[in-house]
Amino acid sequence: METIIQGSAKIRFSHPDDFRQWVREHKRREMVEKLTTERDAIARLVADGDYIAYDFSSLTRGPQALVREIIRQRRKDLWVCAEFTLHETALLVGGGAASRIDVGFLGYGSYVGRAVSEGRVRVFDWTNGALAARMLAGARGISCMPMRSMLGTDTLRHSGARVVRDPFTGDPLCLVPALNPDVFLLHVHQADVYGDARVFGTNLFAPEAAMAARKVILSAEVIVDPQEFRRDPARTTLPYFLVDAVVHLPFGAYPAGVQACYDLDLEHIDKLNAIQTEEQMQAYLAEYVYGVQDHAEFLDRKVGWRKLQDLVRRATIREGYH
Amino acid sequence: MGQTVEFTDTEFMICTAARLLEDRKTVFVGWGMPQLVAMLAERLYTPQLVQLFEFGAVGPQSLTPFVRGTMGGPTNVYRSLQWSNMNWAFSYAAAGYLDYGMIGAAQIDAYGNVNSTLLGGTYERPGRRFPGSGGGNEVASLCWRTILVMKHEPRRFVERLDFMTSPGYLDGPGGREKAGLPRDTGPWRVVTSKAVFGFDHETKRLMLLGVLKGLSGSGVLEGMEFRPPVVESVGEIGPPTEDELRVLRREIDPSGIIIRGERMQAAR
Repeated sequence: METIIQGSAKIRFSHPDDFRQWVREHKRREMVEKLTTERDAIARLVADGDYIAYDFSSLTRGPQALVREIIRQRRKDLWVCAEFTLHETALLVGGGAASRIDVGFLGYGSYVGRAVSEGRVRVFDWTNGALAARMLAGARGISCMPMRSMLGTDTLRHSGARVVRDPFTGDPLCLVPALNPDVFLLHVHQADVYGDARVFGTNLFAPEAAMAARKVILSAEVIVDPQEFRRDPARTTLPYFLVDAVVHLPFGAYPAGVQACYDLDLEHIDKLNAIQTEEQMQAYLAEYVYGVQDHAEFLDRKVGWRKLQDLVRRATIREGYH
Repeated sequence: MGQTVEFTDTEFMICTAARLLEDRKTVFVGWGMPQLVAMLAERLYTPQLVQLFEFGAVGPQSLTPFVRGTMGGPTNVYRSLQWSNMNWAFSYAAAGYLDYGMIGAAQIDAYGNVNSTLLGGTYERPGRRFPGSGGGNEVASLCWRTILVMKHEPRRFVERLDFMTSPGYLDGPGGREKAGLPRDTGPWRVVTSKAVFGFDHETKRLMLLGVLKGLSGSGVLEGMEFRPPVVESVGEIGPPTEDELRVLRREIDPSGIIIRGERMQAAR
């Protein structure tokens, strides 16, 4: 197949057979209890230099507690999949954790924008569709996925995509390379101790990313009985063998909301929105990340029961989230 | 007669775009302003318009008030027909199911190509870095007709974009097909906070179709790097109606934060 255009971005790429070998050797098929603390999960499973992806965002069901723990443990040189991301990417940059970002959508990016302009972090442009397609390819054990978007644009030229001559149609066709993240972080409504999990509502690419990633860390609002999944198999988002660690973290998405559990905290989100300067970023991190030992202390000392109670009370929409 | 109505340019932009949407069609709604446009249209003009959000909400009937920044929250995706995820949403668009797409833009050129990535500097050291494509590139590539919604700042209309994020007609007639984009797709309207533009059928270049009542075509174009031609009879676009303002101000954005903007006045 003739290559017409080659995008200039660096990519984190592995041969599908290498990924398959990892799955064969490291993803345990037997049911093992995986309940652990966020400190242990991040310490064991997230290494400097890892490529990480997460689902969903800092406003809706994002794995915010896990992200704060990554920053707290002073991880470095992470490569981040910024698919529809909001504040969490800025925090990872501010905490010195992220050095490279694949950009689908870098919302609230004026802080990150400056970090890019100053050369503190490298961005590679993609589209949301491209990153989702890359994840699907990673999950399908193939090297790439064809797409009919990105064509003709600077986005493509600065991405790691390639334009080839489609062997069936003869037209130019965009190929995006598969993505097999080192770590996928997912905050779920329900999980059991083995890692079976349910996500309600929509998601970015939860099943795909969980299949494509080498290591999967779940934080869960509620731990349920394993039989729950067998009673209603169509509602299982992830079977246990995809998952490496389960952390029971009620309010684990805070300040995001979780559908039918609690509302988002607009007051705290405004604090995040207000971060413009380096000083402000470090002040936020000092207070809300480094200044607490873990999620429990964060909720206790920085959020408080009254606020949590209010957020729970305001989560009145329950239709479809069960 | 002539009752004077006061409104912001943002309100005018949302209303004008809402009036363009077609009932009993589908629209891929981009993040941000397009969400308000779709909510307004659904309530007043197009009750059977089926919206799509990029992480797989098909037919959401968003509740008001709109919560700024959200798209996946329970109020946004309320009573959708279907919830899935991104690969499915983009499949609908790729397979030809999306009649319209609606996205924002920071910068636009004469062929409706859009920049939402960066301004100034170089790619490695941008002057200002924006969110990037998001799903905008997919919308502009795959929907049959794309509507661009942007604040009216003449300096945003440039000969050459700082960065082409999402495709309009690329370099002119046949450009899209030559690049491999789906046949017969492309930008259809550009709605700003003062005017509406379309694209010349032959040249695929931006043309001014209408301006807010009380403004002049030449006034609206002043300061742009290129001068879009003006159609023979430039339409006069009425200011926001009472119903539109009621829905915007009392229901969709009672805080007034999103709909704020330059104060305008026009006679009804």
